[in-house]
Amino acid sequence: MSTYTFHVSGTHCASCKILIEDILSEQNNIHSVRVDLEKEVVEVETDINYDSVELAKMLTDKIQPNGYSLSVTKESTTKVEGDVIWQAIPIGLVILMLFFLLQKSGILNLGLGGQTTYVTSFIIGLIASVSSCLAVVGGLVLSLSAKVSQDNMSDTKTFTLFHVGRLVSFAGLGGVLGAIGGAVGINFTFTALLGILASVVMLLLGLNLVGVFEKNKISLPSGIFSFFRKVEHKTLTPLILGFATFFLPCGFTQSMQVSALSSGSFTSGFLIMFAFALGTLPMLLLLSFGSASFAHSKYAPLFFKSAGVVVIGLGLFALLAGLAGLGIISPLFNI
Amino acid sequence: MNKIALSIVTVSLVIGIGIIFLDGLKGVETAGVQSGQNIEIRDGVQYITINAKGGYSPRVTTAEADIPTKLIVKTNGTYDCSTALVIRSIGYQKILPQTGEEVIDIGTAKPGTSLAGTCSMGMYNFSINFD
Repeated sequence: MSTYTFHVSGTHCASCKILIEDILSEQNNIHSVRVDLEKEVVEVETDINYDSVELAKMLTDKIQPNGYSLSVTKESTTKVEGDVIWQAIPIGLVILMLFFLLQKSGILNLGLGGQTTYVTSFIIGLIASVSSCLAVVGGLVLSLSAKVSQDNMSDTKTFTLFHVGRLVSFAGLGGVLGAIGGAVGINFTFTALLGILASVVMLLLGLNLVGVFEKNKISLPSGIFSFFRKVEHKTLTPLILGFATFFLPCGFTQSMQVSALSSGSFTSGFLIMFAFALGTLPMLLLLSFGSASFAHSKYAPLFFKSAGVVVIGLGLFALLAGLAGLGIISPLFNI
Repeated sequence: MNKIALSIVTVSLVIGIGIIFLDGLKGVETAGVQSGQNIEIRDGVQYITINAKGGYSPRVTTAEADIPTKLIVKTNGTYDCSTALVIRSIGYQKILPQTGEEVIDIGTAKPGTSLAGTCSMGMYNFSINFD
């Protein structure tokens, strides 16, 4: 039995500790693994003796796919990191400004009179996906996607599951609303609370993407991140999250839900909500798969930080609006 | 690029976003319906009309107190958040029809009170002051 200590790089979150420990302790002849995030070291106890350089190389092979590496001597951290944030803040702010200008322009309030058909609900979906709803739903998708891509290389499956879950649940719940008719109303306070929860999640993820926690070497409690870890590693969670977006506060979604309610049959409610969700899909696909492709390019650090700035901005917007909607604070803006 | 240039860009962007938000607080009153023109008293009942589309207009209305009052919220091809109306002080919440008029009885208000409505997401709002 012997103990080795290695320097670890690539640990950016509390869940990394769990992940590294999980992977390494599954290896042959490894007795125990302990990760110290603060010192960025990994202590490994083995059953047989190894050459420490060899062992570092062998273990790195196992955790490389997740973006971590072990070394015997401390690798000098790249100095580029500090400058990236200076570029990321203006990029993020430009995106936020364009978004708010788009809201103010009134282009999105174009009239779609008459009966709600499947074609109009598809168009409304398209509009909704760039409207203020984007602040909540899109912000959440962007922050989760960036986070998933940062932690996990196999993100395509997770995103596909999320979007499939979203389409299926919108259609299914739309059908249910159509079938039961006016008997139920979706409670506003409930959706507002969900919206506030979503904006808090966005703020935390945004700060994490920008690297506030990393810089101060303070990691969020593992409990919070074990939630996100589940998001990444389980099949069911992205499906459930897709389902949950049905209830997130979004005026367009809510008015479509009413259309589905008054449509009178399962099929028509199903088709209205399905067409609406289909309309929102292109923008959301762009957000999640776009972030995945950026995350795997050489612009990854800049992308994560810019995305973080955007998500923090949208999260603040959604939080303040949500609190005003609940009557907790007086409205600060009208946009 | 150097840090100073980027900080200047950052500061100007923050100011830009600030202007967009502050403009939202006063800009709408001058556009659309003028405050005061949206009140009509018929048969001893005060009717206040608010248009709901891409926000509520007018944003601020000054109405008379001590008289039975009804609020008429008009929608016209409205699909955005302003259809999901919440008036917390009277416990009212409803998703309005996409096109139509919704009459809401708000009772008789006392002088100096006000009534605030928001959409469910909270980014659109209006208020009515009674005096």
